[in-house]
Amino acid sequence: MRILAIDTSSQSAGCALLEDGRLLGEFFTNVKLTHSQTILPMVQSLLDQTRASLSDVDLFAVTTGPGSFTGLRIGLSAVKGMAHALGKPCVGVSTLEALAWQFCGQELLVAPVLDARCAQVYTALFRWEGETLTRLEPDQAIPIAQLEQRLKNEKNAVFLVGDGAEMCYNMLNERVPLLRLAPPTMRYTHAGALALAAERAAGLGYTVSAEQLAPAYLRLPQAERELLAKQQSV
Amino acid sequence: MTRFISHSAEETEQFAEQFAKKLRPGDVVACFGGMGMGKTVFAHGLARGLGLSDEVSSPTFALVQEYTDGNIPLYHFDMYRVSDFDALYSTGFFDYLEQDGVLLIEWSEQIESALPPGAIRLSFARLDENTRELTIEGEGF
Ligand SMILES: Nc1ncnc2c1ncn2[C@@H]1O[C@H](COP(=O)(O)OP(=O)(O)OP(=O)(O)O)[C@@H](O)[C@H]1O
Ligand SMILES: [Mg+2]
Repeated sequence: MRILAIDTSSQSAGCALLEDGRLLGEFFTNVKLTHSQTILPMVQSLLDQTRASLSDVDLFAVTTGPGSFTGLRIGLSAVKGMAHALGKPCVGVSTLEALAWQFCGQELLVAPVLDARCAQVYTALFRWEGETLTRLEPDQAIPIAQLEQRLKNEKNAVFLVGDGAEMCYNMLNERVPLLRLAPPTMRYTHAGALALAAERAAGLGYTVSAEQLAPAYLRLPQAERELLAKQQSV
Repeated sequence: MTRFISHSAEETEQFAEQFAKKLRPGDVVACFGGMGMGKTVFAHGLARGLGLSDEVSSPTFALVQEYTDGNIPLYHFDMYRVSDFDALYSTGFFDYLEQDGVLLIEWSEQIESALPPGAIRLSFARLDENTRELTIEGEGF
């Protein structure tokens, strides 16, 4: 099974082609460019360089959120367009789960964190034991202070990954001694890991049609949603 | 801090046109002051000063309008109807902050806690029918 995976959910953008667990090719960029202008040419280059054609793709994968409002729509539209035209199934993967898949095969805890602005993060918690991924916390938007409470009593090392990882690491590492920061090559969302997550999901039957793909928005906590002046300062 | 007394809509527009010359990509101009103060009038002048010719209208219903036919794009927001964090997220505001354009935000009162730390604050006060006091606070002003 060939999977084409696309991620434009946050600061970075990328695409990957996976065939039966083997990564055939991957593109990753992390520059200040509009994903809407870069993602389709990137997919075209990936297909060209791997001598593949779009019609060989059996399944499309995309990160459905949390993430940037505009970014999520760009990725979803691109995948919906291609999958619809080719009549192929899709898998939508949580951006946080896709980040966790970068640690597949390890023995550790992963806390993906995306910057939700104003001292809030989108986060979850996963445990990898070899090939087994266990979700310990749902995808949520929480204040960074609450993330600290969640992680400070962990008895095992917790790896932070995602576009909010460095920020959270710098804020929390003194008070959360077992906090670890994913290396720079693994810090942002990689479409290869998204493709792996999608492959497993497809194996479990979690495929949808292009029409059924939808962004997964997470509401920000009520108290933090107050935007007016003289509320919490950032 | 810069203060300017404007005696007419035209004067506000001309002042904004000059003010635009000091702006750099990534600058956020947060407007404060009530209804009918001249924020949209100011936006017209700002767009002209940035070399943008697209007609600037009030974005109250669209929430954001993009003017991209010049060297520096202008993203013109009206936050009058934005009252919670989810609504702000859904305007794409946080994505526009990452772009190298100028953001002009009407009704910044609505989103004050989400303004970036370096935002330039532009406050309007009405002295009489046609007179406005404009106060600019921010690095370099
Ligand atoms: N010195 C002045 N500067 C700007 N506008 C003025 C001045 N004197 C009178 N006016 C008038 O005030 C009105 C300002 O309207 P404008 O739409 O710019 O306000 P606004 O602050 O954007 O209001 P809103 O909050 O409804 O968006 C215009 O009708 C303009 O002609
Ligand atoms: Mg207005």
